Amino acid sequence: MGTPSWEEFSALALVRIRAAGAEYGDIRIQHSMTEQVRGEDRRIASVRDAEDTGFGVRVLYHGAWGFAASSILSLEEVPRIADLAVEIAKGSASIATEKVRLAEEPVHCDRVVTPVRIDPRTVSLEEKTSLLLEAMEVLHGQTGIVRSAAEVWWRRDLKRFESTEGTALEFDLLAAQGAISATALSDGRFATRSFNTPHLRQGYELIEGARLPHESLRVASEAVEKAKAPAVDAGFYDLVLDPEHLSLTMHESCGHPSELDRALGYEANYAGTSFLTTDTLGTFRFGSPHVTLVADNTEPGTLASTGYDDDGVACQMWDIVRDGIFVGYCTNREVASKIGEARSRGCNRADSWGSVPIVRIANMGLQSGTATFDQLLGDVKRGIYVEGHGSYSIDQRRYNFQFGGDAFWLIENGRRTHMLRDVIYHGITPEFWNSCDGVADGTLRQRYGFITCGKGQPGQSGWMTHAASPARFRKVQVIRGERES
Amino acid sequence: MSITAAKTWPKMTSREEFRFLADLILARSSGDETTVTLQDLHAGTTRFANNHVVQNVDVRRGTLAVTVAFGARHGTASATDFTAGSVLETLARAEQIARVTPEDPEHLAPPEPEPFAVRETARPETMAAGPSRRLEYANEAIGLCRMEHLLAAGVVTSSVSSVGVASNNGLFGYETRTDARFSITVQAGDATGWNAAAHRSIDHLKVQERTLAAIDKAKRGCEPRELPAGPYPVVLEPAAVAGLWTCLIRALDAKSYQKGVSPFSGRLGERVVDKRLTLNNSPDHTDLLGVGFTFQGLPSGPSSWIDSGLLRQLAYDRFTANVQGIKTISTLEAPILSVAGAVSGSTKDLISQTDRAILVSNLWYIRPVNLNDLTLTGMTRDGTFLIEKGEIVCAVKNFRFHDSPLRVFQEIRAATAPMEAVTAETGKMLVPAMALPRLHFSSVTRF
Repeated sequence: MGTPSWEEFSALALVRIRAAGAEYGDIRIQHSMTEQVRGEDRRIASVRDAEDTGFGVRVLYHGAWGFAASSILSLEEVPRIADLAVEIAKGSASIATEKVRLAEEPVHCDRVVTPVRIDPRTVSLEEKTSLLLEAMEVLHGQTGIVRSAAEVWWRRDLKRFESTEGTALEFDLLAAQGAISATALSDGRFATRSFNTPHLRQGYELIEGARLPHESLRVASEAVEKAKAPAVDAGFYDLVLDPEHLSLTMHESCGHPSELDRALGYEANYAGTSFLTTDTLGTFRFGSPHVTLVADNTEPGTLASTGYDDDGVACQMWDIVRDGIFVGYCTNREVASKIGEARSRGCNRADSWGSVPIVRIANMGLQSGTATFDQLLGDVKRGIYVEGHGSYSIDQRRYNFQFGGDAFWLIENGRRTHMLRDVIYHGITPEFWNSCDGVADGTLRQRYGFITCGKGQPGQSGWMTHAASPARFRKVQVIRGERES
Repeated sequence: MSITAAKTWPKMTSREEFRFLADLILARSSGDETTVTLQDLHAGTTRFANNHVVQNVDVRRGTLAVTVAFGARHGTASATDFTAGSVLETLARAEQIARVTPEDPEHLAPPEPEPFAVRETARPETMAAGPSRRLEYANEAIGLCRMEHLLAAGVVTSSVSSVGVASNNGLFGYETRTDARFSITVQAGDATGWNAAAHRSIDHLKVQERTLAAIDKAKRGCEPRELPAGPYPVVLEPAAVAGLWTCLIRALDAKSYQKGVSPFSGRLGERVVDKRLTLNNSPDHTDLLGVGFTFQGLPSGPSSWIDSGLLRQLAYDRFTANVQGIKTISTLEAPILSVAGAVSGSTKDLISQTDRAILVSNLWYIRPVNLNDLTLTGMTRDGTFLIEKGEIVCAVKNFRFHDSPLRVFQEIRAATAPMEAVTAETGKMLVPAMALPRLHFSSVTRF
């Protein structure tokens, strides 16, 4: 007798759940393969090849949840874990005063596969390490560079989801990313500049297309320029933000507050709640009429476009903010019904077989406008152009934020001039988005992915992609990113 | 509640089983050097919000990692499947990587074997705790809040892990570790109060005491006043001190120091904080989470990092230590920050001695802004109050701070003895509550 198939393991778990009298149950079996090649200071510091296999069983019994998971995928362990999940759910039910009701979802039977042109497993390790060594060599070719880093990463997830409702889904998903950075030292002051591909559901073609050694020339040069750049003078500036930078601003100040579980208090003890309380839905002016934020978990290549979420709900597209008004949440089957929505938006995701799925920000994009980049800059007398991600921090209701960036240029009379350092801007989320008076056209739209979005206890890493064209914000408060004694 | 206690089957990987797995891998390895590490974790979490259990979880995850080196070429592979076939396949993957990866000029052979300290890293009461114990604690916290018509959100976790490291040079370490945690946020309308604990023993979580403290904070936090941003004298509770010191400790990297890209560059042996401050690693302290060894196979022991304000120790990787001629690499997994001289008995005493200051219960989302001078930013959270003439007079709206611990801790006005502190963003530490002359608040939020 051979090893049982994942279908057979799933059937075994679901039989136990049904026999226990639970109203709902599901099983996720997952095998993840991750390769991380990491370079540091002209050497390959580590090559890691991780395989992670296991399964998790989720049970709803008398309106209360239980979840159990194990990395031992065997005929003995699967029924034990299913029984344990039922037993834990019964314990939860014993003190529950409110029952979980799941929003309806059609039964789905499907298989989802990431289209890949170059499977990263077919690319030799020698090719990957040579690419990183070459990139770091170029970085260190620039006088003043004292540290460098370079990385290639990919992960493949094979997953099966099956529920007592009859949904059965198979996934073969891939994501990849490449990155470089350089740290320059000048007169005792140091600064780091970086470049990375977005994390996307693509194959090694993403890394090849990024031309890391070519980008290294620019990155090294700009790292040195950044270290020598004058510090910004505090004050109010017009800001033009590039798509990569905006991806983080959107994520923190728009994405997280639009998670309905936060708005309902589920994350009050850790990630926090949301200023977008349920009474604001449909009426709250989040931003200016230039601001339309669209959630789209159907866009090919993006991290949250997985066909279905971990509730077995089909991925969808909807508005979070339309013409500046807050109109939609990210939801799962549990919380959707709490605000009277008939169907989940399909945002329930776990970061592994061993984690409970929780509401996650969707792929979210700022809808493009009509301006060219030159038009955005041309109307700025005194401003700052910001590229990339830097320091970021935001309060637990997502009102008060502070963002840095990876690189900054002074804009004077409509022209980008020299670099600045230590630029930090801060504000209150709706005030900031209401100061947006222009978004560039779709030809400048770029996507950036996140794989380390922290939420939940124990902490989980969420994956999603945000897209934008450059956008302009008026009279934003900028402070210097260092404290004078 | 009739959940059976945590079942012991399948058992955690024992010392003998780890030795068997390690010996199998080491015997079959073709590498010049081979190291095997084990982390076998059985963890449970009960999470609650709005006075209801929202997650109730039990997870078993074992991970075995193999690092192989041929000369200076090395590679690592890991797997969660401990069957013989999978273990040997993991070895083969590590060998394959090590054969083709470029030589690493910083590669070093595994550390020489030495006896590791035997510490009480596992407590039987935590090992025995299962879903029912966690649910009992969650229910206790919820019940206390319900009685006050307040909302509770929080988490109870307990875990046991088997941890091992073995190399072909005879290095061998194995340890069982337990960990129990409780944290709670109490909501009274817009006001929140928070408290948290982490300990090897689940008996030491003090759920009732901590829940009542969080309730008290939440009740006091109603109707906050808005004060203008700017520099203020502050009284920092231990959690807030731990948040700032966690960032300071992370900046002690020796390689960055040597390359001149550290806020401490050139300052080893110099005074970096108030001369009354001393930071030690104390892995034998029963209230800390000390270990016998690291995953690199290095022993953990008592060590001095900052002595009377003077920077004495950096966090060395093995290569940098070797270059610098450092024989013993100090670890800092069990930090105690203490203040010499007369100390106040409690945070309450500090408040009573304070003419005017902001009392900060906790800091949140602390991130570096500028690593040149270690300027950080972050928000106050879950209990920010104005102290006047020795008393808390009102709650105030939360501030964003923008300052460096290297400035903030230059002068301490008063402090307590070290107390337990843990937050969502820090490890467990023992740190004092402190009264400080200045923390720069750069802006205010809406609540």
